[in-house]
Amino acid sequence: MKRGKVILLTAVAAVLLSGLAACGGTQKNGTLNLFIWTEYIPDSVIEGFEKETGIDVQMQTFSSNEEMLAKVQGSNPGAYDIVVPSDYMVENMISQDILLEMDESQLTNLGNLDPAYLNPSYDPESKYSIPYMGGAGVIVYNKNMVEEGADFTDYDELFKTVYNNSMVVLDDFRSIVGITALSMGYDFNETDETKLGEVKEKMLTLKPNIKSFDSDSPKTLMITEETAVGLMWSGEAALALSENENLDIAFPEKGMYLFLDNLCITKDAKNADNAYKFIDYVLKAEVNKEISTEFPYLNPNSAGVALMEDAYKNNKAIVIPPEEIAKGYYVKNIGKTVDLYSEIWAEFTK
Amino acid sequence: MKKNYKARNKTIPLLTTVSPVAVWLILLVAAPLLYVLFLSFLSTDGYNVVFRFTFDNYKNLINPTYMEIYANSFLIAFFTTLICILAGYPFAYHMALAGKKKKAVMMVMLMVPFWTNSLIRLNGWKTILGKTGFVNTLLLNLEMIHEPVEILYTRGAVLLGMVYTLIPYMILPLFASIDKLDRSLLEASNDLGANKVKTFLHVTLPLTFAGIFSGSIMIFIPSLGYFFVSDIMGGGKSQLIGNLIETQFKAANNWPLGASLSMMLIFLILIMVTVYKKSGGNMEDLGVM
Repeated sequence: MKRGKVILLTAVAAVLLSGLAACGGTQKNGTLNLFIWTEYIPDSVIEGFEKETGIDVQMQTFSSNEEMLAKVQGSNPGAYDIVVPSDYMVENMISQDILLEMDESQLTNLGNLDPAYLNPSYDPESKYSIPYMGGAGVIVYNKNMVEEGADFTDYDELFKTVYNNSMVVLDDFRSIVGITALSMGYDFNETDETKLGEVKEKMLTLKPNIKSFDSDSPKTLMITEETAVGLMWSGEAALALSENENLDIAFPEKGMYLFLDNLCITKDAKNADNAYKFIDYVLKAEVNKEISTEFPYLNPNSAGVALMEDAYKNNKAIVIPPEEIAKGYYVKNIGKTVDLYSEIWAEFTK
Repeated sequence: MKKNYKARNKTIPLLTTVSPVAVWLILLVAAPLLYVLFLSFLSTDGYNVVFRFTFDNYKNLINPTYMEIYANSFLIAFFTTLICILAGYPFAYHMALAGKKKKAVMMVMLMVPFWTNSLIRLNGWKTILGKTGFVNTLLLNLEMIHEPVEILYTRGAVLLGMVYTLIPYMILPLFASIDKLDRSLLEASNDLGANKVKTFLHVTLPLTFAGIFSGSIMIFIPSLGYFFVSDIMGGGKSQLIGNLIETQFKAANNWPLGASLSMMLIFLILIMVTVYKKSGGNMEDLGVM
């Protein structure tokens, strides 16, 4: 008991001292206001950056793109230096003139990123956004529960009647409409009404195969063998594969549904110089390794991935070949067509 | 001068006692509802809400696909309510007539599950009802079945989830109205020669109708909207009005349409309560909720 108390006291003293040290840093090199998703950057990275540069990082977190946008719009200009929007939100924020056009010469470690992640559809010249972490919509299947020779790199495999009531898919209308359109040779973000009519007809043939719509924990259904096939985010797939050795993964040839979160600087940032320093720090291979170890999402930093252990590198659901990523699609803002999508979805799920 | 002083004497205590509740209700009930009403007349540009007045959101409510969703939703809500009445009434009746100790035990049995979040409890059902779950394993081992039965991700599972989550809201108002029942009326009925069944049908049931009605409102309306039950137990395959509203707010970014759907639900409650009032129901009795 007594020893426990001593340890506790020491810990408290250490925290207080480090707090004081951080305060000392503030006066020296200014601050940085970071606005990022919850559970998305390790504390050790923040501390490492503060130690190296003497900049005090003030971190706030959000849990949805819409929440982030509302707070950025509702605060004084320049309240946040760095924000971390997803693909479609980058597009939206560029159109609302919130993001700063970046000066690439300030980012010395930009070469660490895999080119497959650069110049995405939502920011065609990568002027406003630096890829941070993301995921891909992959297909997981149970080798014992599907017929031999089943080829899940072809989206059409999912529509076969043999998979009646045996699939779990993302509970997300953009993903299902998108991959059905892809399977027919149309665009992932299709806006043509007649084509969408055909897409709807084809989707209705997929419906009997779906046992559950689940975006939160589809891995559970695959691990317990409740379902034979699953369309899910690569992060979930990685966990599923590590829990059940009958499971395997496939990357559809016509391109996967991707999401990517990005480091961006706001136009009115008060500490833009510090923001550049922070982004450059995060891009460093060793720092990136630290992030990937704690949060094994899809990582665009190939120099960081190279430093990881073999178990990580050999996990097909974590390190996805860049050529597969290059073929992928991000969700785009499709204007009023979204109403047609939600009508299709209502008909599909009724 | 004197008169003025007197008036203030009355106003100040009134203001201090009533205003906190009034402010609370205005800020947290009336204002949000008015906002939803206001929102339901606006348009969108596909992503953001645009301040252009329109009735389109209400016109869009009459859509054949949505009609089927309403029908499905009403069906589930109706059966949920019915099962809750049939299962809840005997429980409430016994609880009301039980001794002090038994009553307390029954109350605890009813309330304790409430302390755990309903999402967690519903996910618990998944482990019990799944293909490799407890029920299927048991039946397989007893050789009563040869292949796992599909229980989870069906409409039946949604119904089970609804009843399970909502039944306390039926039992509590029923218990309150049965508990209030004047026992001498039952004795009188007995003295006048009515048997137990007759007494129940002609005395107990009519006198506890307010409890049944209030419980029904408290179950019927939420079961139109509890989208997470359909998501967890039904795999999101049988949409309810709640799922439709959720999609508009979270995925389709059509807040005005979501708002008009919500207004439709509110009007529905108003109609139900009006019908109750018109058919001679006492609003005070609904207070047991």
